[in-house]
Amino acid sequence: MPATTRIPSTLLGAVRASTSRVTPPIRQRCAYHSYDYAQPPPFPPAETKILSSAYAHVPNHGFTVDALKLGARDAGYLDASTNLFPRGVFDLINYHLVTQRLALKDSVQFPEEKDGKKLGVGSKVRSLTLARLRANEPVLHRWQEALAIMAQPTYIPPSLHELAALADEIWFLAGDQSVDTSWYTKRATLSTIYSTTEVFMTQDTSKNFV
Amino acid sequence: MQTTRARLGRQLLDARTRAIREPVRCFSASASRGVREPPPPPPKAPQDGTTHFGFETVAEALKEQRVRGVFSSVASSYDSMNDFMSLGIHRLWKDHFVRNLNPGRNPLTSSSAADTQGWNILDIAGGTGDIAFRMLDHASHINNDAHTNVTVADINPDMLAEGKKRSLQTPYARSPRLRFVEANAEKLDMIPDNSIDLYTVAFGIRNFTHKDVALREAFRVLKPGGVFACLEFSKVENPLFNAVYQQWSFNAIPYIGQLVAGDRASYQYLVESIARFPSQEEFSGMIRDAGFLIPGKGYENLTDGIAAIHKGVKPAN
Repeated sequence: MPATTRIPSTLLGAVRASTSRVTPPIRQRCAYHSYDYAQPPPFPPAETKILSSAYAHVPNHGFTVDALKLGARDAGYLDASTNLFPRGVFDLINYHLVTQRLALKDSVQFPEEKDGKKLGVGSKVRSLTLARLRANEPVLHRWQEALAIMAQPTYIPPSLHELAALADEIWFLAGDQSVDTSWYTKRATLSTIYSTTEVFMTQDTSKNFV
Repeated sequence: MQTTRARLGRQLLDARTRAIREPVRCFSASASRGVREPPPPPPKAPQDGTTHFGFETVAEALKEQRVRGVFSSVASSYDSMNDFMSLGIHRLWKDHFVRNLNPGRNPLTSSSAADTQGWNILDIAGGTGDIAFRMLDHASHINNDAHTNVTVADINPDMLAEGKKRSLQTPYARSPRLRFVEANAEKLDMIPDNSIDLYTVAFGIRNFTHKDVALREAFRVLKPGGVFACLEFSKVENPLFNAVYQQWSFNAIPYIGQLVAGDRASYQYLVESIARFPSQEEFSGMIRDAGFLIPGKGYENLTDGIAAIHKGVKPAN
């Protein structure tokens, strides 16, 4: 009988669906970000496969059950396998949010020095936020549906949680080292700015989002 | 010879002094027959080849027969009894169960026109057809799928007969979309391997003698990626509500059974079997041990835990 390991719920407690069928190799699971240990993938393997294929269908079908079903078929599963997602379509939206957030680390590189001056934290935050907003482009025409789903009462807590995680990620990658209440105020202000900009972006018809 | 006789004599004396009246053998009986065996120790654990039948302990081979007896006697009034006991809520549970599973393959979402296969659904212990008809209706009306088919399997021929009678009111009665099969969930020889998209069992699994064998059979017949879904009574989480629920279960339900169906014993068995069923986490663990992937925490409580939907997905590779 394979022993199951209880993954200690980190800040992604609501997000991680636990499908522990096989005992994973023993590795340190940190409750915080660590440079020494690799972070485990955010979703279990079967869900990752289905969600990544379903994500490819989102531009055509939107964040709907159809996209999930087509994704399941592409990944070699059955339509019935969409029952792996107890939160239905929200799991697909969540996949988008989590993967885009985790991609920020690798997708944004800062130039070392510019005109003899090091890049300030503020401008790093700006470029990270813009990068994250740009990452919404492929699904932007479907983003209003997604926001409507995220606004449903059951899904508001995990959505706000993801927003907070995103703000934290951006400040962390920008090199913020505050240890006082400004830690909270920085993230709160960034969350507000990001969410309002995102909503505006869904209606922005200018070329290249000028 | 002398010692045997002495032993026999002593046993006779003991027999007389014992409170229990047992038949006494005379001296002319042979020694081996005269020696009375000590009574067998009461069976403690299921390893002895016994299992639970409500709060009774019975031999495993007998449980199936007893369960069959219970359901034969309740077959005709099954639905009205369910209505009385759950105050009609069982209909909501079953509706939610089916909608949540969302059976049916919408022909508009398939890219190739040749995709005319619907789902193969196997409904175990679904004799009266509650779940089967709901699945077919959902597939036909919500997903516009005319090809999904349901096989209803039940161990009890009376429940199947009731189901066949009810199916005459539906459009699926004599179509290839619905068939009735008498089968034991632990031995589904007539169902080939890797052939079923969705295996459901609603309010049946607590009656199985060996749940793990049934889970392994489910694993065998499901296609890779297929879903095992189980709707069953479970443990109520809230202790206050649980106290009320236990009172209702053990006091009111057998009494209603007596009044409405004239069968107190069957309903006593029913509430006892609910009490003996494993908790939500335990049963999810059993499903995981059978090899299934568990979505989320593996179960969804209905009405605060009176019933729960457990799901498992067979891995694809």
